[in-house]
Amino acid sequence: MNAARTAVVTGAASGIGRAVARDLTLRGWQVAGLDRAPVTDCPFSVELDVTDAGAVAEAVRDAEATLGPVGAAISVAGHYEMAPVGDISPESWHLMLRVHLGGLLHLSRAVLPGMLQHGDGSVVAVSSELAVGGGSDDAHYAAAKGAIIGLARSLAAEVAPSGVRVNVVAPGPTDTPLLAEDSPWRAPEYLATLPLRRLVQPDEVARCVAFLVEEGTFCVGEVLNPNAGAVI
Amino acid sequence: MGAAHARRLAADGARVAVNDREPSSALATLAEEIGGITAPGDVSDHEQVLALVDRVAEEIGDVDVLVANHAYMTMGQLVSYDLDDWWRNVDTNLGGTFWLVQAVLPGMRRRGGGRVVVVASEWGVTGWPAATAYAASKAGLIALVKTLGRELAPEGIIVNAVAPGITDTPQLDVDARDAGVSLEAIHARYAGQIPLGRIGRPDELAAVVSLLADPRMSAMVGQVVQANGGSTRARA
Repeated sequence: MNAARTAVVTGAASGIGRAVARDLTLRGWQVAGLDRAPVTDCPFSVELDVTDAGAVAEAVRDAEATLGPVGAAISVAGHYEMAPVGDISPESWHLMLRVHLGGLLHLSRAVLPGMLQHGDGSVVAVSSELAVGGGSDDAHYAAAKGAIIGLARSLAAEVAPSGVRVNVVAPGPTDTPLLAEDSPWRAPEYLATLPLRRLVQPDEVARCVAFLVEEGTFCVGEVLNPNAGAVI
Repeated sequence: MGAAHARRLAADGARVAVNDREPSSALATLAEEIGGITAPGDVSDHEQVLALVDRVAEEIGDVDVLVANHAYMTMGQLVSYDLDDWWRNVDTNLGGTFWLVQAVLPGMRRRGGGRVVVVASEWGVTGWPAATAYAASKAGLIALVKTLGRELAPEGIIVNAVAPGITDTPQLDVDARDAGVSLEAIHARYAGQIPLGRIGRPDELAAVVSLLADPRMSAMVGQVVQANGGSTRARA
């Protein structure tokens, strides 16, 4: 259990990020919610874009000043679109990497100095089942989510000797606003292929995040896969 | 590690039946401590497994959660390995889990779901010199879990594994003997190879078991959760 009870959650306004923020709050954490959209249910929040390293650093500084030392940081902010690989524009590719990989990079650089100073802390990155198994029309998304795992595992090895743990949760298709109503991931034919036969619920991803933050004290560079059996 | 799992599940609210190969005062004391029952029997023996699962069902009801933590481990060079002993690793670890899953399935089906948590091993992921039998049994468990995860999830029976890294249990005596060094020396040797700088505690593995036994979560299916202080950092 971390002594510092402030958690920073990016993408906290909706979907998985919101579920994570709510769950950690119920567990007694003071949650700082960072999002492009207004975050309504956290004691501290900043509207920002995680592709902006300076804004993330400033928000973390302000969160620490308001709520206290950060013991947990969860990188959830994401962006999703599908496209055949030949149709992915340089702008799309750039944005995908900056949001997902940059989001984790910027958050980690902001929180790690404090965690390393305290010799304690937990960073959790939300990746995706597509990073592990890949999928058609998801090249830029899968590349960005896969890069998260590479960064997290290397960072995990780097900071574990100092008592800071870095881990990943790679959900399968989850019932959030990121999946449009007409998304193929919601189609009954797709759901029928999943061993669990349904989408993952945001609360289940939040449960995995909370485990890694609070109880997974021997998990380092690990990837938890609440993916409804999409990738086994 | 098994005692830690039992204590944790009891703390989570489960009525726990604790198994060991033979009845013992230690087993009885543990059962009493956690308000559970004892269910001794050799899990590598099909008939004994059927009998003990029946007895558990009679005494405390159908099984909702099976934690297959039992293990037998020896080490040796492949060519000179005693063949009977080699198979004993496989038939206890892999075979015993298979008999147990088969035995608890009807009860889980009656209950409309369940959780199976198999304790595999880091060595079932990475392999290890002089551990061919043990590593084969644990790698077999991982494939069994992946298959059963797919096969049983549609029925609400959720099967996953935890692959512990080096953990502070009496099993490390075997490693120490194989290496010809003291238990303290083997602890230090292993800790030095782990990014976190220490070996695991049984309660840290019990926390993973608790996660995978949680009735509120079923999104993890056929997965292998590795808790090893960062030694593998690989997909299992």
